[in-house]
Amino acid sequence: MPRPQDAVRADLEHVFRADYPRVVAVAARVLGSRDEAEDVAQEVFLAFGRTAVPAEDAIRWLSVAAAHTALNVLRSGRRRASREEAAGGGVGTAPDVADTVVSREENRRVRAALARLPRKQAVALVLRHSGLSYADVAAALDLSPGSVGTTVRRAESALRKELSTHASSD
Amino acid sequence: MRHPTDGTLRRLVDEPAGVPDADRAHVAGCPVCLNGLAAAQADAALAAALTATALTCDASPDVDRAWRRLSTATEAPVRAVAPAPARRWRTALRSPVVAALGVVVVLGGAGAAAAADWLQIFRTEQVAAVPVSTTDLVALPDLSAYGDLQVVSEPDVREVADGAAAREATGLDVPQVDALPPGVTGSPSYTVGGQLVAEFTFSADRAAQAAATAGETLPSPPPGLDGSRFRLVAGPGLAEVWSEARGIPALVVARVTAPTAFSSGVPFDTARDYLLSLPGLPDDLAAQLRGFTADGTTLPLPVPAELVTTSTADVGGRPATVLASRDGLMTGVVWVEDGVVTGVAGTLGEDEVLAVARALR
Repeated sequence: MPRPQDAVRADLEHVFRADYPRVVAVAARVLGSRDEAEDVAQEVFLAFGRTAVPAEDAIRWLSVAAAHTALNVLRSGRRRASREEAAGGGVGTAPDVADTVVSREENRRVRAALARLPRKQAVALVLRHSGLSYADVAAALDLSPGSVGTTVRRAESALRKELSTHASSD
Repeated sequence: MRHPTDGTLRRLVDEPAGVPDADRAHVAGCPVCLNGLAAAQADAALAAALTATALTCDASPDVDRAWRRLSTATEAPVRAVAPAPARRWRTALRSPVVAALGVVVVLGGAGAAAAADWLQIFRTEQVAAVPVSTTDLVALPDLSAYGDLQVVSEPDVREVADGAAAREATGLDVPQVDALPPGVTGSPSYTVGGQLVAEFTFSADRAAQAAATAGETLPSPPPGLDGSRFRLVAGPGLAEVWSEARGIPALVVARVTAPTAFSSGVPFDTARDYLLSLPGLPDDLAAQLRGFTADGTTLPLPVPAELVTTSTADVGGRPATVLASRDGLMTGVVWVEDGVVTGVAGTLGEDEVLAVARALR
């Protein structure tokens, strides 16, 4: 668990209450698991609490951080290890919704495909599908607004190819 | 004019206002670009569907609970620790492992024994760790699948000023730590909680439904079980929390009047054997629970095996269970003496935790 520095920004609770669901949603797009996404959101808000990012930029900052952190989790295969779960808390006991809707196998293949995408493409795809505007995605990834569409398009195309290749070889 | 780029076609899919008029006019009259646009639309829709499953099918997250969790890491520990137990206990009551235990366990205590029509069927005299895999947990239905659960009395967890106030609030001796482990300094904060009482009414119909959902047939309940009530009582309890300067609990010493369960008439082993036979409980887990609970005095402590290792030790001549997180962050030890469960845990090594436990006065 990351350890907070001494000072936590004063508007943390306000921003948290306003943006937590969206941040969880960004991470869940990557991870396909609500529980894991909530863990990522905790990590992201902890980090945010130590920054001086202007409040009006918060949701953009948080979304980018959530996408990167979730992709890091995906790539490292890091398991959930929160103290709550270690203490037997209930957070991990419900079946993931994703598992009941998409088959576990498909879910796994989507995550694997996302993990194989170039980082910039993966983040662009996740942020755009999470509702960030082209301008926001451009600013977040240091791209020109015109190339956001190209990056997202490549990511979506690669995702489809990855899945069809692996589906047909399975 | 040249065909617009794939990126422009992609933007036409979901942010057309950002595409210049000239490009839009071109695409509208160009079969090649219209094909490209259709492909972009299809890929975008596929990507949206593949990544949206966890979002669209579930209620929004519990922001209050998440905020409390974050507060644990960012604020003074007392504020963070205090609200958590009530929720965790409630969650524990709903946990499938509790259900598997035959409703017997988790929150027992003293006072309810006075109720004349209640037969004490379980009292905690020792604790044993039961490794449970996440898969086991996911496979199990929760307690509400077997009947109605009502929380009769909330524990009212709160902070108090000092050890004397904690003792007065709970009637428990406050453990004294004379020598703090290296890295732990200062004075503890004190959190107390009153008694938690919950009642569970077993419903044969409800259990049959749960079984049917799992595609199995419910074994017929033994006489008297349908509609019988179980009362689970725990507490009062107290916790002393030493924090690091940054607000993370470094050492926690907690004491709780041991969980006890009462039945409105059905003997413990009848209820246990029946519940352990219900569909949904993995055989090896059922066997372990049956073994551990044979005498109605051992409190099984469900432990997520992927995350925590367990071992046994001796604290003051009593058998104790040592729990250590596999990432090495946390170690804890728990034991029972005279109807009181005491635990010591912290971001410490096993030796340090045991040293504190053995030196408690």
